[in-house]
Amino acid sequence: MTAMLTDELKKGSAEFLILSLLETEPRHGYELQKLIESRSRGVLSFHVATLYPLLYRMEQRGWIVGRWVERAGERRRRFYRLTAAGRATLEAQRESWKAFVAAINRVSGVRYA
Amino acid sequence: MHDWRSDVKARLSSAMLHPQDEAEIVEEVAQHLEAQFDELAPKIGEANARAQLLAQLGEAQFDDAVAGRRSRAAAGSVPPWRSGSILRDVRYGARSLRRSPGTVVAGVSALALGIALTTVMFSIIYGLLLKGLPFDHPERIAMIYRGDPTGRGEETLVPFADFARYRADQRSFSLFAGFIGATVNVSGGDRAERVTIARMTAGAFEVTGVRPIIGRTFSVADNAPNAPPTAVLGYAMWRDRFAGDSNVLNKALRVNGQSYTIVGVMPEGYQFPRSQALWLPLQTDASGLRPGEGAELTIVARLRPGADYRSANAELSALAHRLANEPADSAAIRDIAQPYIRATMPSRAYSLLYAMLGAVFLVLLIACANVANLLLGRTVSRTREIGIRLALGASRTAVIRQSLIESGIIAFFAALAGSALAQGGVVAFNRALIALEADRPFWMDIRLHIPVLVFVMLVALVASIASGLLPAMHSARLDINAILKDESHAASSLRVGRLSRVIVVGELALSTMMLLAAGFMTKSISELRRLEPGFASATVATARVSLTGTDTLRQHLFLEAVARDLSSLPGLDGIYIGNDLPGTGWRGARIAIEGRVYARERDYPLAQSLAVGPGFFSAFDVPVLRGRAILPTDRGGSPLVAVVSESFARRNFAGVDPIGRRLMIREQVGKPEWLTIVGVMPTLYALGMVSANGDHFPPEVLTAFWQQHRFSTASIALRGAAGIANVTSVRKVVAALDPDVPVYAAASMDVVLSRPTWPLRVFGTLFVIFGFTSLMLAAIGLYAVMAFSVSRRAREMGIRMALGATAGAVIRLVCRQGATQIVIGMSIGLLFGAVFVRAVRMLLFEVQPNDPSVFALVAVVLGLAAFVACLIPAIRATRVDPLTALRTD
Repeated sequence: MTAMLTDELKKGSAEFLILSLLETEPRHGYELQKLIESRSRGVLSFHVATLYPLLYRMEQRGWIVGRWVERAGERRRRFYRLTAAGRATLEAQRESWKAFVAAINRVSGVRYA
Repeated sequence: MHDWRSDVKARLSSAMLHPQDEAEIVEEVAQHLEAQFDELAPKIGEANARAQLLAQLGEAQFDDAVAGRRSRAAAGSVPPWRSGSILRDVRYGARSLRRSPGTVVAGVSALALGIALTTVMFSIIYGLLLKGLPFDHPERIAMIYRGDPTGRGEETLVPFADFARYRADQRSFSLFAGFIGATVNVSGGDRAERVTIARMTAGAFEVTGVRPIIGRTFSVADNAPNAPPTAVLGYAMWRDRFAGDSNVLNKALRVNGQSYTIVGVMPEGYQFPRSQALWLPLQTDASGLRPGEGAELTIVARLRPGADYRSANAELSALAHRLANEPADSAAIRDIAQPYIRATMPSRAYSLLYAMLGAVFLVLLIACANVANLLLGRTVSRTREIGIRLALGASRTAVIRQSLIESGIIAFFAALAGSALAQGGVVAFNRALIALEADRPFWMDIRLHIPVLVFVMLVALVASIASGLLPAMHSARLDINAILKDESHAASSLRVGRLSRVIVVGELALSTMMLLAAGFMTKSISELRRLEPGFASATVATARVSLTGTDTLRQHLFLEAVARDLSSLPGLDGIYIGNDLPGTGWRGARIAIEGRVYARERDYPLAQSLAVGPGFFSAFDVPVLRGRAILPTDRGGSPLVAVVSESFARRNFAGVDPIGRRLMIREQVGKPEWLTIVGVMPTLYALGMVSANGDHFPPEVLTAFWQQHRFSTASIALRGAAGIANVTSVRKVVAALDPDVPVYAAASMDVVLSRPTWPLRVFGTLFVIFGFTSLMLAAIGLYAVMAFSVSRRAREMGIRMALGATAGAVIRLVCRQGATQIVIGMSIGLLFGAVFVRAVRMLLFEVQPNDPSVFALVAVVLGLAAFVACLIPAIRATRVDPLTALRTD
């Protein structure tokens, strides 16, 4: 039951999460996976077959852009950063997420400390 | 160390990605897996970590990643030419076309035919009308003529007085000159000849910007009325008459018996304004002339830089009104400046050539429709392949592009083959035009010029789009799910079938149109071949002589001497001297018959007349049906006589004997006189010009040549064995009497008769080629569609046969489907074809544009061809083995 709910939420919110993580700085795919995992304390997890379809689709929509970046002493990696359109989408999702959470809270009576 | 790259690569292999896309995904994902493996292995063990990651990689969702990446490559921000994808598509297209050589051969040959015809037609138009004169800035060379104020399009020339005023006042042209074309006798040296000349004002040569190779052209001083006569030689005359002598200047040339001093020689090939071999100065005194007076000339001028035809015509119009003292808004005189070729070519030549270009575009369209159908057929057989490509994330534009590239490959090879064919066509056309001789405009140069080749490339490009777009759009519209589910692809082939059938109806309609035009041309040409002129032409040699001076009596005596000396030659069946030749030499005139009253001018009956010597009847083998021929005794002083044709007698003396009655030819020079009809002859072929509704056997009147008052030119004809009846005999006789008299226009009577009809023979033959090409293409197109549809329905046919359908029933079933298309296509084609034939009416000979027999013939020929095209696949359908058919699919 809990797993199913998490799956559904994950699907709907995955793009939102990635946009949020890219807001401050460009990141590569593995970094994104690690951040989602650690910040959700293991509740949410992605792997190659779930993450990359998402990234490529978002890139296709013009929300994010992937660039190969070479750093001294490292292999080149593909870094994704937010575009203007992505930033606008993030703002909009943030607003509707807030409204949604507020509504859920009012209905379910869940309170955060 | 585990190689994650090869795992990812293997995972992607089935997607057939662009190598660059694949490499990027491999790199990014393998990196990810590696990092994850390094982290995971210490915790759960290498084997477990590897198994877990490989399972993740194997998840179906990963396909989406590939799809996302691929469509980005096709439609994304990378320009298609940089991603190398076009090259990949071309390679792929070539590979897939190589698998169906039948389609390629059929498509390439159909398109090559269409492209070749279009190219030949365009190179004719380009070489004759568009390329321009072979001079500096030819588009600035203008011809100015006087437009017809009545708007009937009868253009006239400009009187010298008006020309002189224009020349003095106009500002639009940097050079403004005029000329009068003429023919003269040039003699001296070893022979006399008749040549085409132009009398030019100063500046006429300079309009073309071509300088003489020796000496000078005419100056204003040469144009003064009493200036010593000068001449500029054409290159051919300099070479032939003066052996290319570089000291030819100041030598004398005898023109019409008068001596001219040579002042210049023009370069080889220079024949401006049309086919001139010699130029003389135009010597006119304009001082005493009032507006509208003086010799009429053609004006040639060069536009000043910055001026255009619009402004020049506005200025000319203002000058004309001032000249005629008219208010500026009246439209009485309209002198029009036009680019030289535009003004000098008859407008009907323009409309004919462009109508023919339109016709070949129709043929090309039919060819495109064929290729479209072929590709459409391929699309159906490849429905699954396309469906899979779409499912794997190929964008619809990529699918369309792939299809267009395939038709482009076909068009490319068709353009190569078509150009080669066109080269042959152009050579054949030029050979056919040799008959034109002097009538051939000097600037005409029909070859595959660079712009023509550019045109071929454009045509091929358009053809490839025209033939590829429909199948492309079709494949892009395919419903992926339906295709992948539907093994037998029945649904999609049904839809394609409808589209193909519509295309075939269009093809049939177009080829009916072309065939109709071809039918009318064929009938015209066969009428022309069948034509019995009513007089001998095969063994008759003809020539003309032209006498100088104004002494009629001397001329009369000279021609009599020629006739006498010719008759002393042995072995001739007849010797003719007369005004002109039958067939082409008739002059139209209005006739009055004694005792009849005519209220209006147009009530006088029309007839064709010709003044003939007594040898006419023997030389042309024309019998006299009643009364007598024109005899040697019919000469000056004796009563004036005429012989009329049967047609004349029928029309004007129905049921009454015309012999003894008198008639008058009203449009003769001098005072008209009554002529007594002494005989009746059969109606002879007349006119010879290809005219819209020309009557080729009109009422005719022969008058007596020796009873005329003018003898300055005459036609001579000899009938007999080729060794004697030739122009050499005439030349010898004439030269013995007077070496200054040229014998020219030497041709056998057959050639004389066929020359005016060359447009029909040349263009008519082209039309016949167009017609049969399009018939062939349409039949092949219909066959392909029927064969395809039969092969699709093999299973159905098998079932029908298994259930007891007879072969006849199956054939009927297939043919019925074809018959509907044939009937619809043919009806549309006949309708539009009737309009089209009217447009090319000037080429018709003795055929009315609504001749039902041609329509019927076309319907039968097309119907038969189409029927055969249906029948072959239908018969094949009956051979279907029910068991085999049921097992397939």
